[in-house]
Amino acid sequence: MREDLVAIYADPRAALRALDALHGEDVTTAQIASSAPLPGAHAEGSHDRSSTLGWIALCGALTGLGCAMALQVATSDSLGLLVGAKPIVSWTAFGVVMFELTMLFAGAANFIALIVLCAVARRQVSRRARDEVSSERIVVVVRARHFAERRRAAIRECLEGTAAEVQG
Amino acid sequence: MNDTNASSAPRGSAIERDTLATLSRPSRTYWILLGISVALVAIGGVAWTLALRRGLGVLGLDEPVMWGALITTFVFFIGVSHSGTLVSAILYFTRSPLRSAIGRSAEAMTVITILTAGLYPIIHIGRSWLFFFVLPYPSDRQLWPNFRSPLTWDVFAISSYVLVSGLFLYMGMLPDLALLGRQVRGWRRPLYRFLSLGFAGTDGEWRLFETAYPIFAAIVIPLAVSVHSVVSWDFAMTLMPGWHSAIFAPYFVAGAIFSGIAMAILLLSALRRGYRLHSYIKAEHFELLSKLLLAMSLVMTFVYATEFFMAFFRGSEAEMEVFRSRAAGPYAPMFWLVVACNSVAPLACFWSRVRRSLPALIAIAVLVTVGMWFERFVFIVTTLARNFDPQNWGTYRPTVPELLICLGGFGWFAMLFLIFVKVFPSMSVAETLQAEYAAPAAEVEASHA
Repeated sequence: MREDLVAIYADPRAALRALDALHGEDVTTAQIASSAPLPGAHAEGSHDRSSTLGWIALCGALTGLGCAMALQVATSDSLGLLVGAKPIVSWTAFGVVMFELTMLFAGAANFIALIVLCAVARRQVSRRARDEVSSERIVVVVRARHFAERRRAAIRECLEGTAAEVQG
Repeated sequence: MNDTNASSAPRGSAIERDTLATLSRPSRTYWILLGISVALVAIGGVAWTLALRRGLGVLGLDEPVMWGALITTFVFFIGVSHSGTLVSAILYFTRSPLRSAIGRSAEAMTVITILTAGLYPIIHIGRSWLFFFVLPYPSDRQLWPNFRSPLTWDVFAISSYVLVSGLFLYMGMLPDLALLGRQVRGWRRPLYRFLSLGFAGTDGEWRLFETAYPIFAAIVIPLAVSVHSVVSWDFAMTLMPGWHSAIFAPYFVAGAIFSGIAMAILLLSALRRGYRLHSYIKAEHFELLSKLLLAMSLVMTFVYATEFFMAFFRGSEAEMEVFRSRAAGPYAPMFWLVVACNSVAPLACFWSRVRRSLPALIAIAVLVTVGMWFERFVFIVTTLARNFDPQNWGTYRPTVPELLICLGGFGWFAMLFLIFVKVFPSMSVAETLQAEYAAPAAEVEASHA
């Protein structure tokens, strides 16, 4: 069975030039994997879920706020003690813990969402290709297993221009 | 400061090798420093054991001064913790070149100092094994924490802060842990692979990371400000003279940033020297930090002056007595030490020669660290020692076990930091590489244009 084309580049300039060449061949879904974000290297065809992170953090924040309100009202009612001439349910005094838990839950939701969405996102690149990444090895992957042999050869040629190594 | 390598920026594997140099086999100096810090922890541990066995009587705490050196150390470490994550997050948003050099160490400093600070209230309560009573959970006691108390706010604020700061540090380390998981051999490989949570550096992951990280940084900044404000309210929400003041929250936040910058200078200079990171932690980074230190010193001086002005302008006898006692009472030497360390010594940073001299900056940072501990001590103790009722005035002297417990905290902080730099990358490889990638990316972009 044919595999995806995996090209390894020693420097970002070479990788970006290869992506340019791939664009010339109408390949816009090439995936890139590197040790640091490479500006201008986003695959156009891939499904971007990053905009959902803000909404997930907001949901986390609202959950935290709700938990803080419920916790403070429930425990203060259970204690039933008037302290400092304030009423049992004292929203001004509860504000601090509400703020803290809102931020805590927002942060936790953001982190968990990142981990889960990253796990989904990286499935587009094979494990073999991912393991090639290092500080001096930038990997470009083209999912070319279903391409015709001629087109595959043309893409391979684009990748080989500046690549240190091409697999597949 | 010698920056001979600074002009030729290192690339690829050189960046990786240099920034991960802290993970190399420990040197003799490292073992000596670790040994000293472990010894300090052991001494502090023995003193704490003594306090647990014989009771809080072995500490110098007595009516009217029930908060002493332990709470001083708690407030001091919370202050130091405050600025690490805050500064790192602000530097991220300002796209400052300082961030790749100091961000990771500052974040680690935050997490470690807050873990250290959290020990002191637990020690201070005496029956430390009952600490969990402050947590809200249904129990047979039918007692709940009082959510109107700043002390309960403190528990939530500090717990939230340590968790969020820890996650912020961890999130920033994910790409480096992934890189290490592929590069290193031996027992560390499975550890890093597990801790990297599968992060592989694909395009999709980087896009998610670059969205999630600023969200997290935006969460961290107000949280960091809130934590030190809440700690200040432990004092300001009381009616005690010298404490009951609206200036306390900004005063604490400014003091926290001040002490945090001083600690950052000390830690970074040690890292730079110990691991020859001159190409990454540059002279101009220290110069920027020294300017920040100077600015915060001026803010602190303004706050000290405002406190005195307000006390005497208001005309409250009790308030005036507290401040009179600070400047001319039994604690006057400490107060003037604070002024010398926090207000006078940093003024030397007005001279560019001082800002560019690392030994001079280290000396100033040490003075500020000492000054900030004594500042916390002076404002806590003078208020309690000179409260509303002159019949109830007193003095407080920390006992030897108390001081040893405080010293143990410094050892604990140093020990955890030394372990951190040996197990985790103390500079961000990904961010240093990202800066290196920017130029070729711009070049390719320009060729398109």
